[in-house]
Amino acid sequence: MATEYVKFVDVTKCDGCRACMVACKNWNDLPAEPQDFLGSAQSHTKTTADTWNVLQYIEHENSKGGLDYLFRHSACFHCTDAACEKVCPEDAISYTDFGTVVIDHEKCVGCGYCVNNCPFEVISLKEYVDKNGDKYRKANKCTMCTDRLEEGLQPACVTTCHTGAMQFGDKTAMIQKAEERVKQIKDRYPNAMVYNPQGVGGTHTVYVLAEKPSVYGLPENPKVPTSAVVWKDYAQPIGKMMIGATTMAVVGAFITNTIISKKKNGKNEDGGEHHE
Amino acid sequence: MKKSVVSKEYQNLQQDILALQENWKKSINPEAIIPKLDKAAMSAGVPAAALASINFEISLFLQWIEEINVLLTQNNPELESKLAEVRTLLNEETAIRWIDEAFSFNSVYFAGFAEENGLEEWIPQFLAETALRPYLQVTAEKIQHEITHAVPGAGCPVCGEPARLAVLEDEGKKVMTCPRCLAHWNAKRIECAHCGNDDHKTIQFLTIEGDASSQIQVCEKCTGYIKVIDTRQYLSKPSPAMLDLNTIHLDFVAQEQGYQVVGEIKQTN
Repeated sequence: MATEYVKFVDVTKCDGCRACMVACKNWNDLPAEPQDFLGSAQSHTKTTADTWNVLQYIEHENSKGGLDYLFRHSACFHCTDAACEKVCPEDAISYTDFGTVVIDHEKCVGCGYCVNNCPFEVISLKEYVDKNGDKYRKANKCTMCTDRLEEGLQPACVTTCHTGAMQFGDKTAMIQKAEERVKQIKDRYPNAMVYNPQGVGGTHTVYVLAEKPSVYGLPENPKVPTSAVVWKDYAQPIGKMMIGATTMAVVGAFITNTIISKKKNGKNEDGGEHHE
Repeated sequence: MKKSVVSKEYQNLQQDILALQENWKKSINPEAIIPKLDKAAMSAGVPAAALASINFEISLFLQWIEEINVLLTQNNPELESKLAEVRTLLNEETAIRWIDEAFSFNSVYFAGFAEENGLEEWIPQFLAETALRPYLQVTAEKIQHEITHAVPGAGCPVCGEPARLAVLEDEGKKVMTCPRCLAHWNAKRIECAHCGNDDHKTIQFLTIEGDASSQIQVCEKCTGYIKVIDTRQYLSKPSPAMLDLNTIHLDFVAQEQGYQVVGEIKQTN
């Protein structure tokens, strides 16, 4: 098994240059999505099917009454217990040995359950048109550059970050770095914290946030939705069993009916003979 | 980098050899190497190791060669008979000669030695070079703090190996590294390591499609090239020797394009 890696994002070192967004588009060959001016420096409101990471710009009044201009590189968290993986009816979403969560487009049917259940709202559906002009949809999100990891390279966003706000490495080492960083910045940002929510089993993108998660529009304690757990761990297996039961019933009925109708035919033939 | 034109087996063998060399380095008495830093000679391009007085322990050298033989035989039992002959040929006198000739990379001598004694051509130089490197590496470690730059065209300032490998560090600092003695020194981003040309119009970069972290820097003036690897993108940093081996496809590409390991400016009248 490969080492489990974590992307450590220290938002307090980010200067909002958006090179991570460009590097992502470049490596993953994603088309540009021109946007109208949204009233701030932020380009897109959130991640989309063609924009896998978005730099958030947040104007925040801190506890001293001053203005903090906060930045956050937002992308898929790669949860250890990923809700998207739980709800996918086609097993199209899976974990890699690196700890990343990836979507298999061969299996994805575009149902959108993952989109509705992601606690961080990072997955989106993209519409494609096949050669017959028929439309179909597939889920898209950040892959943590799993294709680069397989080549022994770090994710594109991390390698391009010029302030060192992002680092990539061994899970325990990165979490330790995050905790040390929080201690360093406590006097400047009293609310600073490591964001590695345990409600989803921890994530493979770990943040040092300068403020509470809600300031960044993040859930304070994200959880895998109960419905998702019920769906994956109970309903789906039972559902598959039910399919089995009904299939058996149909097959059984078919066999019995055939035998019975044969008997009926036989009777008819008998009747015919009698008639003669 | 996982993709490499070098087979996994050969990579593993090289890893084992590097591990052996690391071990051997520990048994070298640091007092045995006394560097003499002659600034004038070094600025003229004389390798520092050539100026240092190195007191080679011949018994160690012979023991190391024996260890490589064992490793090679384990790896490929067919080599046993070929390597057995080396054991009978090597004595103290030959060992001293081997060290001298390996130091100056005298391929002609080794080819002659192999022919005289009916050995396969690669064997003598491979063994001598492998066993010599720990001494070069300890020498480089001792004087690394004095090595900041190299004289263009003179190769590695410690061991004289032709410059061919650079890695990028920090904000894009180009650090030349020697895969032979592991010394490193700084160089300008746009500068030919062979002729010192720093004209951006005649320094070009070749890149390989699908290889996001490597470049070949070529100089149109002297037709020399070096490999520039952005190891900042790597998940784990390989040793310069392994990096040099695993990027050998870049050497092939550069040489196929007509560039040379050591550039030379053609004299025209």
